[in-house]
Amino acid sequence: MSHASRVSRAPTAVFWLATLLGLFAIPLSLAKNHSPAQPANSTPPLRIPSDVAWTQETLTIISSGDSFRGLLLARRCNHCHGEEGFSSVPAYPNLAGLDRLSFWKQVEDFRSGKRISPIMQTIAEGLAARDSADLAAYYALLPTASDPLENRAFPQPMQDPSRATIAIRLIVFGDGQRGIPPCQSCHGPVSYVKGAPRLDVQNGTYLAEQLDHFSNGSRTNDINVRMRSIAIQLTAEEKTALSECYGAGLGPGANSR
Amino acid sequence: MKKRIGFVAAMAVVGLAFLSIRYYEVDLPIWHLLGGGKGLDPATLHLRGEFVESNLGAAEGPAGSVTVRMIAQQFVFVPQCIVVPADVAVTFRVTSADAVHMLSFLGTNYGLRAVPGEVNQATFTFTKPGEFKVPCHEFCGAGHYAMRGQLHVVPRDQFASLLPGERRTCEPR
Ligand code: HEC
Ligand code: HEC
Ligand SMILES: [Cu+2]
Repeated sequence: MSHASRVSRAPTAVFWLATLLGLFAIPLSLAKNHSPAQPANSTPPLRIPSDVAWTQETLTIISSGDSFRGLLLARRCNHCHGEEGFSSVPAYPNLAGLDRLSFWKQVEDFRSGKRISPIMQTIAEGLAARDSADLAAYYALLPTASDPLENRAFPQPMQDPSRATIAIRLIVFGDGQRGIPPCQSCHGPVSYVKGAPRLDVQNGTYLAEQLDHFSNGSRTNDINVRMRSIAIQLTAEEKTALSECYGAGLGPGANSR
Repeated sequence: MKKRIGFVAAMAVVGLAFLSIRYYEVDLPIWHLLGGGKGLDPATLHLRGEFVESNLGAAEGPAGSVTVRMIAQQFVFVPQCIVVPADVAVTFRVTSADAVHMLSFLGTNYGLRAVPGEVNQATFTFTKPGEFKVPCHEFCGAGHYAMRGQLHVVPRDQFASLLPGERRTCEPR
């Protein structure tokens, strides 16, 4: 390397360095104007759908649940939700295999009255905050596979099996034209969003009721209107088809027959 | 040897230059690291702040200005159907509850990203009344391709007659 070339290289390095700084400095300075002050507007009365938020704290509480303690506590629930988490009354939900976040959130919402159910509110009020994490841990572990006692309401054959096509199309593909995402992209088995329960081993009668409650505004505890904005777009026939199909164990992921 | 160092350095700069145009993936995190951003927690949008559910939709401000607040989340926009007046400058304020999404107003050149932890704001004027699709234009997961909202642009007087005093949307009821 000659002396001359070393001199000529120095400005090049400075040039590159400046270029580099410039490239980051411009977008970063733009970022400063990113969220200007909020314009003044009169605000309508505050409505909070649920006191539960998926913060790190909440997730820690839920994951600390002890399933053995849950097993002991579950005696209080067996009467309605079944010995093995499968109820014998079709209007009562199955809890077997329900994901912990979903379970915990619903119990909290029953307790705070954000989800209205006179039966469950009294029961939830009788549980300590720790109990619901334990119960969630226990029910999440229950198998969804076989029915040795034959005393479950699930599965129940579809009243009109020809409706299965309507249901499967919505579950698998959704309806892009109307902005209805596939049920399986939030409720599994393809992917899950936080707090969305599995539907594949749920009783049809219960599902139909909940879909109606979401669409007529009597259940409003879903965070950021997620489930309401979907349910409100479904026709009565689609709601029946979906709940019967899931309730018959025909939803993707169901392994219980 | 020196030549090789120079070459590697040049490639590194080119690589970094390429990264620096990934605004949301590179610049924004750097900005956050440097202490920028007020930190809107995507997990608590429904509890406090301007994105609580009762405040979403089109709001009429002083002097007839219109502000639309929206949340994008996997895999729905809220509100799913937004209604705005024609020929009025409409300010959109959007955020995300999870991944990065992008609203794109089909039939217009307008688009806006929704980023968790950030409020993105842009002002658009829609001149043509009608109904427009608002698909999500940033891959956000399994239900992405069905993530689609709607925009209704209505004449000004019609907009004024919609549910005065409330946040306006065109969600079915
Ligand atoms: C008297 C009957 C009864 C008993 C006992 C009972 N439940 Fe329930 N539970 C119900 C009914 C009915 C619902 C549906 C509520 C509705 O209509 O929204 C329900 C719903 C639930 C849900 C929501 C399920 C979902 O998919 O959203 C959870 C979680 C739950 N119960 C947990 C429990 C636990 C834990 C116990 C015991 C500590 C218990 N329940 C005891 C009747 C009962
Ligand atoms: C964008 C994600 C998303 C999609 C898509 C979605 N859901 Fe949901 N759904 C949720 C969430 C989140 C909840 C839990 C709401 C809560 O926190 O109470 C829920 C709750 C429900 C419940 C109540 C379950 C229970 O045990 O209480 C039913 C029934 C339901 N969804 C049916 C459906 C059907 C049918 C579809 C397809 C047409 C569907 N959902 C699509 C997110 C979604
Ligand atoms: Cu999206």
